[in-house]
Amino acid sequence: MEPLTWTGSLSLLNPVLAALAALLVLAILARIALSFFATEPAVVVNPDGTATAPNGLWSLSVTAGKWLFLSLVGVLVLYIVGGVVTPLGSGGIFGAAAKKFLPVWIALVVLFAVSLRFKRRLGLYGKLFDSTIGMIGFGLVMFWVFTAIFADMIVMHDPLGQISQLKNKAPGVALPDGSGWYIFGGDHLGRDVFSRMIKGSQVVIQIAPLATLFAFMVGITLGLPAGYYGGKLDSGLSFLANLILAFPVILLFYLLVTPEIVTTGLPQFMAVALFIFPLVFLTILLNSRYYVQPQRRNLMVAAVLGIGGWLYLSLISTPGTAVSFFPAAIDLFDVPPNILIVFVSVVFVNSPTVFRIVRGLTLDIKTRDYVSAAQTRGERPWYIMLWEILPNARGPLIVDFCLRIGYTTILLGTLGFFGLGLSPESPDWGTTINAGRRLLTIAPHPAIVPAVALMSLVLGLNLLADGLREESLRD
Amino acid sequence: MTKWDYDGPILEIENLSISFFTRLREIPAVMDFSCTVQPGEAMGLVGESGCGKSTVALAVMRDLGKNGRIVGGSIKFKGRDITRMSDEELRDIRGSEIAMIYQEPMASLNPAMKIGQQLMEVPMIHEGVSKEEAWKRALEVVRDVRLPDPERMLRSYPHQLSGGQQQRIVIAMALMSKPALLILDEPTTALDVTVEAAVVDLVKDLGHKYGTSMLFISHNLGLVLETCDRLCVMYSGEAVETGSIKDVFDKMQHPYTQALFRSIPLPGADKTTRPLIAIPGNFPLPHERPPGCNFGPRCTYFEAGRCDAADIPMFPVTGQERHETRCLRFKEIDWAAPPKAARQNEKGEVGRVVLKMEDLRKYYEVRGGALFGGGDTKVVKANETLSFEAREGETLAIVGESGCGKSTFAKVLMGLETATSGQIFLYDNEIQSTPIQSRNTETVSGVQMVFQNPFDTLNPSMTVGRQIIRALEIFGEGKNDAERQARMLELLDLVKLPRAFAERMPRQLSGGQKQRVGIARAFAGGAKIVVADEPVSALDVSVQAAVTDLLMEIQRKNKTTLLFISHDLSIVRYLSDRVMVMYLGHVVELGSTDQVFSPPYHPYTEALLSAVPIADTKVKKKHIVLEGDIPSAMNPPPGCPFQTRCRWKSRVPGGLCEKEVPPVRDLGNGHQVKCHLSDAEFATMEPVITIAAE
Repeated sequence: MEPLTWTGSLSLLNPVLAALAALLVLAILARIALSFFATEPAVVVNPDGTATAPNGLWSLSVTAGKWLFLSLVGVLVLYIVGGVVTPLGSGGIFGAAAKKFLPVWIALVVLFAVSLRFKRRLGLYGKLFDSTIGMIGFGLVMFWVFTAIFADMIVMHDPLGQISQLKNKAPGVALPDGSGWYIFGGDHLGRDVFSRMIKGSQVVIQIAPLATLFAFMVGITLGLPAGYYGGKLDSGLSFLANLILAFPVILLFYLLVTPEIVTTGLPQFMAVALFIFPLVFLTILLNSRYYVQPQRRNLMVAAVLGIGGWLYLSLISTPGTAVSFFPAAIDLFDVPPNILIVFVSVVFVNSPTVFRIVRGLTLDIKTRDYVSAAQTRGERPWYIMLWEILPNARGPLIVDFCLRIGYTTILLGTLGFFGLGLSPESPDWGTTINAGRRLLTIAPHPAIVPAVALMSLVLGLNLLADGLREESLRD
Repeated sequence: MTKWDYDGPILEIENLSISFFTRLREIPAVMDFSCTVQPGEAMGLVGESGCGKSTVALAVMRDLGKNGRIVGGSIKFKGRDITRMSDEELRDIRGSEIAMIYQEPMASLNPAMKIGQQLMEVPMIHEGVSKEEAWKRALEVVRDVRLPDPERMLRSYPHQLSGGQQQRIVIAMALMSKPALLILDEPTTALDVTVEAAVVDLVKDLGHKYGTSMLFISHNLGLVLETCDRLCVMYSGEAVETGSIKDVFDKMQHPYTQALFRSIPLPGADKTTRPLIAIPGNFPLPHERPPGCNFGPRCTYFEAGRCDAADIPMFPVTGQERHETRCLRFKEIDWAAPPKAARQNEKGEVGRVVLKMEDLRKYYEVRGGALFGGGDTKVVKANETLSFEAREGETLAIVGESGCGKSTFAKVLMGLETATSGQIFLYDNEIQSTPIQSRNTETVSGVQMVFQNPFDTLNPSMTVGRQIIRALEIFGEGKNDAERQARMLELLDLVKLPRAFAERMPRQLSGGQKQRVGIARAFAGGAKIVVADEPVSALDVSVQAAVTDLLMEIQRKNKTTLLFISHDLSIVRYLSDRVMVMYLGHVVELGSTDQVFSPPYHPYTEALLSAVPIADTKVKKKHIVLEGDIPSAMNPPPGCPFQTRCRWKSRVPGGLCEKEVPPVRDLGNGHQVKCHLSDAEFATMEPVITIAAE
């Protein structure tokens, strides 16, 4: 079989794409140049109450830029549609990739169509669809989320399967038995780069948001009382947070994965300490609100402690390690020790920053009258912190949550890159980039593909956070 | 650019219309607004929040932001149309020909620059004078605004000055280039009453001295009466009446102006015999204005088919100079007729003593600066020897300016702080050293509070109903959710809000409606004592009367004791039975409303009475301006707390005021005054406010 070209039969679109891109660059340059001379267009108000800006040279370049950009996006969509409708292989590498991503496209289109239709009823999430930046960011993030969900439908080959003839082969290379292609080429062991990238997304999408969520639970549970009570508690906790922040992150990771340290069980004891926070958080959350109705409270707290406690014990207890007390019969699942270490480290370094944000917000919000009102009607401190203060700090926290998932993703990449935590076989992006780095001059693609994937996800998260911040401030 | 000469009016605004363009729609903020300001004239713009008065001021500065646009009409400044000027021309005019003073003085000064530099900038930019010359001028202006030690002032940073001093600096900066027009946007709202009086006095004098025309924006009719020659009343984006102060105040020709005057507590109004008349309904949102007259739906003279037929132009009132009104029926209405709805309320019975404070003291220890403790400890005496009683069904007003200790007193009463010494008796229980956590539910629900800021009093992320239900849960009212739900709806009825509001979020409510929810929440547990901390001062005039009325009505029904904290003496006189005046933690005067509001006064009460602007041309006030600012509670003066600003100090022999805190003296009938003045001196005091015979 012939190796695939980049665009295959879709190559007739290439000149159009090139022309449009060139024109767009020209329009943008013209707009920048003209903005030095052009006066701001005077806006004329029509009798019917609408306002129009008369066309000048400058506004012409703006309009041209807008339309060129839209048609560029249109052509890109044409590539995807072309790839999807033509048989696998005839659309070249991009066509094949587009075809394999079909479930993701469908999910994205459905999600966007529904969200745009009901955006006025969806609160802040709906407002996100008023901002182009936010929509692009959300699209990128959801692309990877759906990829992780549908990963088993998308992969073309076993991500660990090695075909020795295809070591370091360029993208589009055909399999020796003629049954298909390695559309993004083969890596130094002859594995499929495309499938490894897809599988790698699963690792990131599973660990990053969950670890960030845990970090938020820890940060919130400690930050609220620090800000609310102030005084010695605040000084102590803030000092501790500063101590952790002052320690070099990578060094900390190296320490945690050192075999000597692992055998002492330190990471696991940290897990024991850190993972109790969500449980504590939920229990206090429910108790503070429902203690006035003891029956309901007992039911809810019992449910949380029962289910949460079981999950917690299953999570921290792993046979054959320092912490293994839970009988195997009722142990729901075991987390591989190396994943647990990654998880613990990420939560540990992220929570002090969250702590500081929450503390700052609490200091501000506790001066409001509704907090005084709660105090004067005899509410307990934890109710005030969790039900009066926390919901009103949600705006900045949501934005930070998005940004922080991005940092965590990068951190995971960094950890993988240094070979810390995850196994060398693991398809996660950090490890793959590290593996591809050694042969960068001969075959750059095994490193570039996961690097681009990592970048696009983090970019998407940052844009999403920008969009959320912008839209939450407007009305 | 040189300043040009022009003989005509300084400012001519003709048929000005301004709109803001948002994502959803165009919002007309100002419609068909016209006014003229002659040289040396002070023009007042009065109206409630959202009526467009600040938008007019910003339009004169051509500073409407990205969304705002002038959609019609013209603004002529000294004969030149500002709406057609280029950015460059505007830059020349702003700050040199037209200057603006904003509400928040701290926000108008650059905190990173010394006062002197900020002042010098003005002439250096606009006239290109040398540094030395600019410094000389800055010094001169600072002297003009009567600040002590001008040299030191110029070398200090804004945060080293008090609020009143900052506002004086802002005024100085505005006057640096001798502008032809000065725009003042609520310049004293952020200041204390006695400081406000001094600043207003200053602005008036400087206006005469420099011959500057002024556009004075305020929601306070009394303040406008004291500062302006003419005024323009605005309602919902339109000017409804404009004319000279005398004409508009005494011979008003628009129903809104009339309703406004009837809803503010002027001397003579009384909660039982002559209650205030609130304006019914709500201020219309800009995109929901009714056809025809904007005030129509709330107007008592409304005539369907006529008032709502077409847009109404301004009509000149014949026989009076430059007096115009936007009312179709102004010739038919009998303006002298007394208000119809003067219903009489029964006077509430005053019962037994429910709250008694004896010699209450609250001191705070404040550590100086250092990070890990250390440093000197200073003692702030927030409350000194507070003793009083409050009876069932009584309204006790607590009057004082910022830093007088009234909030600390409220905190101690509520149990958020414990007293340093002294006793508080609630019924017969001592509660001074029981913090709120250890109080029983009955005590907690019996003493509740209504807060000042309506935009802050409700949790923005909980529905109104949920917040009231939460209070019921905490107070142990109702056996189950259904009972509490029913009780919550009853509470909404009590504060006259529609039951549908239970599902609303606080941001969907107006300021007055939020304050009503706050009141409902306070009465959720059948409160016996309610501390109302300036509950209406942040509300618009027309809403104030309604909320005050509501409080009074609930009080009559429940026999609640109301502790009404306020700095506004007009409203205090209107609704309180007894008044307690506080200054720097001391009670300086305590007595029934009549006793406190008539001589003999404590010197501070006298100054306070003189400082409060009253919107009535018939009232003659004695002019007393207090020098300087309120001393800091961290560093109180020795002896009498008020001695640094007292004008009677010289009448007390032997410098006693500086040595000893005066004892509490009883002037008869429970009228207590903390002052060294002799009885003979007290007898010479004259009333501050006199109402001229008609």
